[in-house]
Amino acid sequence: MCRTDADREPDGEPDVDATDSAFISLLEDSAEELYDQAPCGYLSTLMDGTIAKINATLLGWLGLERSQVVGRKRFTDLLTVGGRLYHETHFAPLLQMQGEVSGIALDIKAAGKQRMPVLVTSRVKTSGDGEPMLIRTTVFDARDRRAYETELLRGRRLAEEARRQAEADRERLQEALAVLQQSLLPAALPAIPGLEAGSYYHTASPDLLGGDFYDLFPLGTDRWGFFLGDVCGKGPQAAAVTSLTRYTLRAAALHDPDPVTVLTTLNTVLNERYTRGDARYCTAVFGVLEPGRGHVDVHLASGGHPAALVQRADGAADYLPTPGGMLIGILPWAEFTPARTRLYPGDTLLLYTDGLTEARTGPDRTLYGEDALRAFTAEQPAAGPQALISALGRLLTGFGEGLDDDTALLALGVPAALPASASEDLR
Amino acid sequence: MNPLTIASRDTVTGPVLEITGDLDYATAPELRKTVDHLTLAAGQVLVLDLGGLKYCDSSGITTLAAARNLAGEQGAGMALAAVPANTLRILGIVGLDRVFTIHPDTATATTAG
Repeated sequence: MCRTDADREPDGEPDVDATDSAFISLLEDSAEELYDQAPCGYLSTLMDGTIAKINATLLGWLGLERSQVVGRKRFTDLLTVGGRLYHETHFAPLLQMQGEVSGIALDIKAAGKQRMPVLVTSRVKTSGDGEPMLIRTTVFDARDRRAYETELLRGRRLAEEARRQAEADRERLQEALAVLQQSLLPAALPAIPGLEAGSYYHTASPDLLGGDFYDLFPLGTDRWGFFLGDVCGKGPQAAAVTSLTRYTLRAAALHDPDPVTVLTTLNTVLNERYTRGDARYCTAVFGVLEPGRGHVDVHLASGGHPAALVQRADGAADYLPTPGGMLIGILPWAEFTPARTRLYPGDTLLLYTDGLTEARTGPDRTLYGEDALRAFTAEQPAAGPQALISALGRLLTGFGEGLDDDTALLALGVPAALPASASEDLR
Repeated sequence: MNPLTIASRDTVTGPVLEITGDLDYATAPELRKTVDHLTLAAGQVLVLDLGGLKYCDSSGITTLAAARNLAGEQGAGMALAAVPANTLRILGIVGLDRVFTIHPDTATATTAG
C-alpha cells in the first residue's frame, strides 16, 4: 500500500483507523470468495464419494460446470484411469484407516482432454459422536513440479545414455587395441621340432601399445627366423613403427635371411620413412636358427641392442657380444655386428629388452644391470627356455614399480636329453 | 625426478647448450624445441654439454640423435661434451659412441675447431 503525507494527521502520526478499515474491506467478503477462488481446488464429498461441494478453481481446471458435477459425479470420476486405480488401491483404504491422507500425487482429467498432475490431501469430517460424515479434499496444481521432475528424469536418462555410449566406445577402442596388439606380437610361438621357445611381455603403457616386439617364424622348411627389439618412445606412434619394423624384418628375412642384410634393409626403410628430426629408431636383434644333429646353430646380428645371453647346460651364463651394432634407422648408413653360437641340449639363448637391465631395484633405485642378469641366469637350473622365462618373470614382478618400461623376453633352446637317472625313476 | 634446464650461450665455434637434470620421455620435447629454434651457420658446431645430466632414457638418446640431424640439415656439426658415464655406456650399447663426436668437456669442444 502506498501512502502519502495526506494520510498523516497534522501531528505526523499515521492514521491507524484508516489503514485497518482498508484491510477489513478487503477481507470482508473473503470466506466465500477465498473458498471459490483459492489458488487450490476444494471439494467435499459424501462418504460414497458423491461430490457435494466444489470450488470454481477446480471446476476451471476440469472445464466443467457446477451443475454437471455436484450430486452427479464422484471424486473418482474426476481422475484418469491410472489415478482411479491408485485411488482405489491406496488412497481410499488409507483414508478409511487414518481418516486423513496428504500429498498424494494423482492425475485428474482436465479441460481439453488434458491430463493434469495434482497433489491431493483429504480429511474425513466426523460428527460429534465420531460418525464419519463427509470427506474434505484439497487439490494442488502439480504441473510445474511434475515438469521439473520430468526434466530431472530426462537429464538422468541423457546422462545414462551418454555413459552407455562412452562404455560402448571404450569397448570398441579396447577391441581395436587388442587387434593392433596382435599385429605387434605373435599370439603364440610356433611349435618347432627339436626346439623349445618361451616368451614374456610386459607393457608399462596404459593403452597396451608398447614399443617392444619379438617374433619367431619359419624360413623355408629347415630354418627359423627370430627377432626381438625395442622402438624408442611409447604409445600409438611407437606402435606404428613397431608394426612397420616387424613386417619389414619378416619380409626381408624371406628375401635374404643373412642377419646383417636383414637389419640393413630395416635401417633403410626406417631411415627413409622418418628422415626429419622426429625420426623414430629401434634397436633389435635378428637371427636365424639352423637345427643340426643334436644341436642348433644360431647366427644373429644386433643393431644397438643389448647383447644376447646364453645359459649353458653346465650352469655357465655368458653374453654373446655384438659390440658396435648401431641404433637402427638413425643414419642412412649403419653398421651391424654379427655373432654365431651353437646350442647343445640344455642350452638356452635369451633375448631381452632394456626394460630388464635398466630396471631400478632396491630402495636406492640402483640399476639392475647386465652383470646382475648374468649372475641371476647362472644361478638358475638349466631347465630350458620356459623355466628360465618363468624365473625371469618372477624376478621382474619382484621389481614392482622399479619396472617402469616395457619389457620383452624371448628364450630359445634345445631340450635336454632325458637324463639316465630320470629314466631310472620312471621305471 | 629432476627438472630439465637448458642454458644457452654462444661461443666462436657455435652455440653451447648446457643440459641439466633428467632428459626423458617427459622432458625430451623441451630440448627438441630448443634445438629447433637454433639458427646455425654452416661450419658451426652445436655443443651439448651434458655435465649436469642426471638421467637419460631412450627418448633422451633419440633427441640427441634428432639434434645431430637438425644440425646436419643446416650444414653444421654437433658434439657432445662431458657425457656422464651411464649415458656413455648406453651410447656404447646403441653404437652411437661412434656416430657422435664426444669431448671430455666444453672447453675442449669449443677450441677443437
